[in-house]
Amino acid sequence: MIRSVPYTSSPLLASRTPVWRSKLVVAVVAISFIGLAARAVHIQIIENAFYQRQGEVRFGRTLALPANRGRIIDRNGLILASSIPAPSIWAIPEDVPRDDAQLTQLAHLLEMPLADLKRKLEDEDKTFVWLKRQVDETVAQQISALALGGIHQRKEYKRQYPEGEAAAHVVGFTNVEDVGQEGIELSFDKDLAGRAGSRRVIKNRLGQVVESVGEQISPLDGRDLQLSIDSKVQFFAYQKLRDAVLKNKAKAGSVVVLDAVTGEILALANYPSYVPDKRRNLSGEQLRNRAMTDTFEPGSTMKPITIAMALEAGRVKPQTLVETSPGRFNIGGFTISDTHNNGTLSVEGVIQKSSNIGALKIAQKMSPQEMWNTYTALGYGQKPQVQFPGAVTGRLRPWKNWRPVEQATMAYGYGLSASLFQMAQSYTSFAHDGQIIPVTMLKSDQPAVGVRVFSSETAASVRKMLQMAAAPGGTGPLAQTLGYSVGGKSGTAHKQVGKGYASNKYRSWFTGMAPIDRPRVVVCVMIDEPSNGQHYGGAVAAPVFSEVVQQSLRILGVAPDMAVKPQIVAAVEESF
Amino acid sequence: MTRLNLTLLLALLVSALYLVNIQYESRRLFTDLDKAISDAHKLDLEAERLQLEQRAQAAPLRVERLAKDQLQMRPATPAITHYTTYSEPSASPAQRNTAGRTP
Repeated sequence: MIRSVPYTSSPLLASRTPVWRSKLVVAVVAISFIGLAARAVHIQIIENAFYQRQGEVRFGRTLALPANRGRIIDRNGLILASSIPAPSIWAIPEDVPRDDAQLTQLAHLLEMPLADLKRKLEDEDKTFVWLKRQVDETVAQQISALALGGIHQRKEYKRQYPEGEAAAHVVGFTNVEDVGQEGIELSFDKDLAGRAGSRRVIKNRLGQVVESVGEQISPLDGRDLQLSIDSKVQFFAYQKLRDAVLKNKAKAGSVVVLDAVTGEILALANYPSYVPDKRRNLSGEQLRNRAMTDTFEPGSTMKPITIAMALEAGRVKPQTLVETSPGRFNIGGFTISDTHNNGTLSVEGVIQKSSNIGALKIAQKMSPQEMWNTYTALGYGQKPQVQFPGAVTGRLRPWKNWRPVEQATMAYGYGLSASLFQMAQSYTSFAHDGQIIPVTMLKSDQPAVGVRVFSSETAASVRKMLQMAAAPGGTGPLAQTLGYSVGGKSGTAHKQVGKGYASNKYRSWFTGMAPIDRPRVVVCVMIDEPSNGQHYGGAVAAPVFSEVVQQSLRILGVAPDMAVKPQIVAAVEESF
Repeated sequence: MTRLNLTLLLALLVSALYLVNIQYESRRLFTDLDKAISDAHKLDLEAERLQLEQRAQAAPLRVERLAKDQLQMRPATPAITHYTTYSEPSASPAQRNTAGRTP
């Protein structure tokens, strides 16, 4: 039995311990506490920011807020291009179950063979494999309904083009990363793309967003772009062009429709074309925006310009007589001939009958420098100022290098080259009262501010000559419409093959405006290699011009300025 | 003095519990708000998609293709157009019915 001893008289505690031992213990404990306090200070005060950030990383997430790509709409608000959500399917190969039945279902939804799918999921080291990009929303919902492990979706957008091939060359398309590649999608890519935003949030264990932390950077959505294109005019231009190319068994064709008052491009169509939504197996033939990128010698289209130059400089008057018989002319060792011997023609008659010799003789009254200045002022040999990719400059050699025979051939359009677009823009000088106007792809309500090239009287005289050329007795009577007065110049040329010209390949075009006294539209049509018997511009391109003008003016709401009569057209007088 | 301490302690406990409750409510409502915003965004996208589909259905090329293939229609040309002149409607109802009809 142990007898309890009071604490105060315990013999164990009576032994004398050295004082330093207790002091040591106190010191050690004190130092530990100081150490803890120092650590606390270090964590809470000195490295506060670092540790707070570390903590936030654990529960904070930065969500990216994607920006919507802007729509492209036509002048009346109809959609030409718009983005819709199209999730992309990706996978972590390691997590995907190797169940054949489920993989077959997935392969069926992804529209790829099972073998391809298995090959993609082979490499287990990869942590990210695209299975299919930009699938339809409904398909994506079905895939997520399968609830397969390792298959995830990322939100992406796909561009849709409701107009299809009619407006394909104008609108262009984007690639899978939503970056514009061609057309308006390319030239206005920055405006359309916008800028993504972000927000920092706290997510809970279930992945739900519970709190917003800090500032939210709002996304800047892409700007909607309103083009000057009128989809109805664009459609008719494409339809009439397509029908004419097929009827004439031609290789290709282009149409440009410009508003003569505001300088807006109402339509720009090419054939062959492509469907922008389905871009597999595209050929270069389909992709080329020929109206802007293909150049050719303008031919007879330059005759009105030559005559206008001479009228402006006072060298001739509209009724001045020009001798063109016997239909051949020798200059610098070359012989230049007309299709017929037209005898003595007035200056108006030179345009009406499209006489090369007449144009040549009138041009000889001008100096090369004067000719070059006018051509340059009208945009030939200059890069077109239009917000569109790929517009070519054409070719106009400096006037100092012109030999006399070259000055002569330039009078009727050989020796220089231009695109259909440049031709159309140069003819706005006749349509806009002698001023050449800037051309725009975006909707504009103000009348264009032009640069004067010819006087109003000269422009009016040339318009009268163009009307005569498009009337019975001229080279393009098929250009006439029901109810609208038109004027224009046809052109036909052998195509260049190597260094010479092919004898059986032609290019036919027609450039004109309507109504003729106060033109509202300038229309240019070009058909490449018609091979169904007809090849003169007045026979192949003029009917397309007539139909396009008829539809365009109707859609624009222009009242007919002539009595509506059924067409009785005499045989086309053939001429280059 | 103890009563004051006890009262304060009680007040502290009550406010602490209330704080927890309010914080939970706040997070729940925030989640709901976020979900509603996300649904609104989804509906906007759906509206855009439907508008696009409407335009695609009415696109002139599609209409032309359907008219040619399914309805066997052809474009009107001057060659198949007959112009009639408008004649004044006369008193007799029978004549009024036949006036202005194009052959």
